[in-house]
Amino acid sequence: MIKIRNIEKTYTKGSLSTHVLRGINLAIDRGEYVAIMGTSGTGKSTLMNILGCLDKPTSGHVELDGIDVLKLDDDTLSALRNKKFGFVFQQFFLLERTTAQDNVLLPLIYADKYPADAVERAKGALSRVGLEDRTEYLANELSGGQQQRVAIARALINDPDVILADEPTGNLDSENTRDVLEIFSRLHKERRTIVVVTHDREVAEKAQRILELKDGKIYENP
Amino acid sequence: MNRMARIFKESFRVMGDNKLRVFIMILGVAVGVASLTMMICVSTGAYEEVMDTVNRQGPDLLQIRPGTDKHTGLPSGSREVVSLVEEDVDAIQQHIGNILAISPVKDRKEIEVKYGDKFTLSRIFGVKPAWAQIRDFGPSKGEFISDDDVSFAARVCLIGQTVKKNLFGDADPIGQTIQIKNVPFTVKGELQWKGISAAGRDRDDRIVIPITTYTRRLLRDIYLTQIVITVADTKKVNESVEDVRALLRERHKIAPGEPDDFVMRTPQDLIDLASGASRSLINLLTGIAGFSLIVAGIVIMNIMLASVSARRNEIGIRRAVGAKREDILSQVMMECFLIAIMGGLFGTVLGYGGSLVLSSLKVAASKITLLAMAASILSCLVIALVFGIYPARKAANQSPVDALRA
Repeated sequence: MIKIRNIEKTYTKGSLSTHVLRGINLAIDRGEYVAIMGTSGTGKSTLMNILGCLDKPTSGHVELDGIDVLKLDDDTLSALRNKKFGFVFQQFFLLERTTAQDNVLLPLIYADKYPADAVERAKGALSRVGLEDRTEYLANELSGGQQQRVAIARALINDPDVILADEPTGNLDSENTRDVLEIFSRLHKERRTIVVVTHDREVAEKAQRILELKDGKIYENP
Repeated sequence: MNRMARIFKESFRVMGDNKLRVFIMILGVAVGVASLTMMICVSTGAYEEVMDTVNRQGPDLLQIRPGTDKHTGLPSGSREVVSLVEEDVDAIQQHIGNILAISPVKDRKEIEVKYGDKFTLSRIFGVKPAWAQIRDFGPSKGEFISDDDVSFAARVCLIGQTVKKNLFGDADPIGQTIQIKNVPFTVKGELQWKGISAAGRDRDDRIVIPITTYTRRLLRDIYLTQIVITVADTKKVNESVEDVRALLRERHKIAPGEPDDFVMRTPQDLIDLASGASRSLINLLTGIAGFSLIVAGIVIMNIMLASVSARRNEIGIRRAVGAKREDILSQVMMECFLIAIMGGLFGTVLGYGGSLVLSSLKVAASKITLLAMAASILSCLVIALVFGIYPARKAANQSPVDALRA
């Protein structure tokens, strides 16, 4: 469902330019659970941002369900992200003084159609990550593990095709890491596509397919 | 619920999550708007007060004073300027049509007046009987000066309400004898209460006596300080002014091209003067208030900019989950509008309250007008638009990746 070809990405700052991605080709099928590994600074997050239509490559092609996404304008890309992707970040990125439920409802504000059962859906998403008794807690009243689970619930609310997770366990202890990975395994069993970016081999090994990013190139099953 | 309504609700919710920040911004707008409202109320009040005074004098009043200070406000009636004499009055009466009533006036301030052991300083006016009608300044009790009083230079007077209070308290002054510069005068009547003039002078602190008595027995001034005229037909007031001017110039032997040695004022002149003065007052006050509104706007812009940069992650996550640029723009603009409107309402109430307090303390007259309300609300919306657009655009134009990386 996602195909990228010959992706190059160069960051330029003043006279200094860094060539992060050097001709990446990759296809991810529906229902796959993929881990992208690599040490820090290898461009894992950049690759994930390009996969999630948050960023554009310097050159190359990105195709999503047969659509050439690089030809889409900003508004269409926003709508596409809203419909197709659920994002999970290392820093959670919750609205702090906002309840867990309102955080989960966030993507629906920008949906084409606001579902009549939005609140029930938010409660359902929270109960899938084991936070049914925390719906009215403010984000900053929750522990790190709970905050990441709220973020996962937020990623699920729009019933997206793909979950993109950038170092989802980077700020969590081992117990919370296990919980989050269990949730991903469950979602994978529901035939959802999952892409996890991580530097942690244990996390990567939960995935069905492991890719390694090294020197701007990608290697399969390292 | 459509998308706009959802974003509106979201703006409201975010504001609720940031009460302190919102409160400071509302306060900033409120102070600006309150001063604008108050300025407009007070200057409108002042303007109406002046117009009231002018209108009370009637549209048919013509005043002639000695002097040449046409452009420096109301003539001073300075004693050094000597040009008008009683013969001028007789000449006007004989040669100019359209004159309903005319009276010469002589006056001097700070003349000592005694009654028993009471003492006061007051302004003495020497007039003819027509003066009461011309200036609408008749007696509230007793009688005004008669033609006989003038003919015989009778030692009679009418006293204003302030003089009455100073010398007699609550007692009845009529028939009593007071000493003006040690000359005994019988009080014939009390003058109506008039209050403070537009120039801030107590119009009740005066004593009116026959002009003949003034000249022969009291102060011996030859020159007049004023001639007051009521015209019969107000439509022809301008012609009458020109006729009188021509006559006086001829009598005073003023060569063509030389300036008049007297100043003539019609009610229109007074209205122009008064409205000109209050217009510049309004302009000044509105300028100051407008400036404070701009300051309020800059406060909003600054806090909004700080808030937008503190909320970069929030904006980033909103963009990541599907917010379009215009959604972010709308949200920030709505926050600005809501703050401006709340600040506006709060400020209007505050400004009205303040102007009511000012007028009840008699510090300034004030009038609550729709203009003030409309101006406040409009200025709030303009503030929101002008000072909100920059932070809003700055927020909306961040790329989601940059916003999340911050």
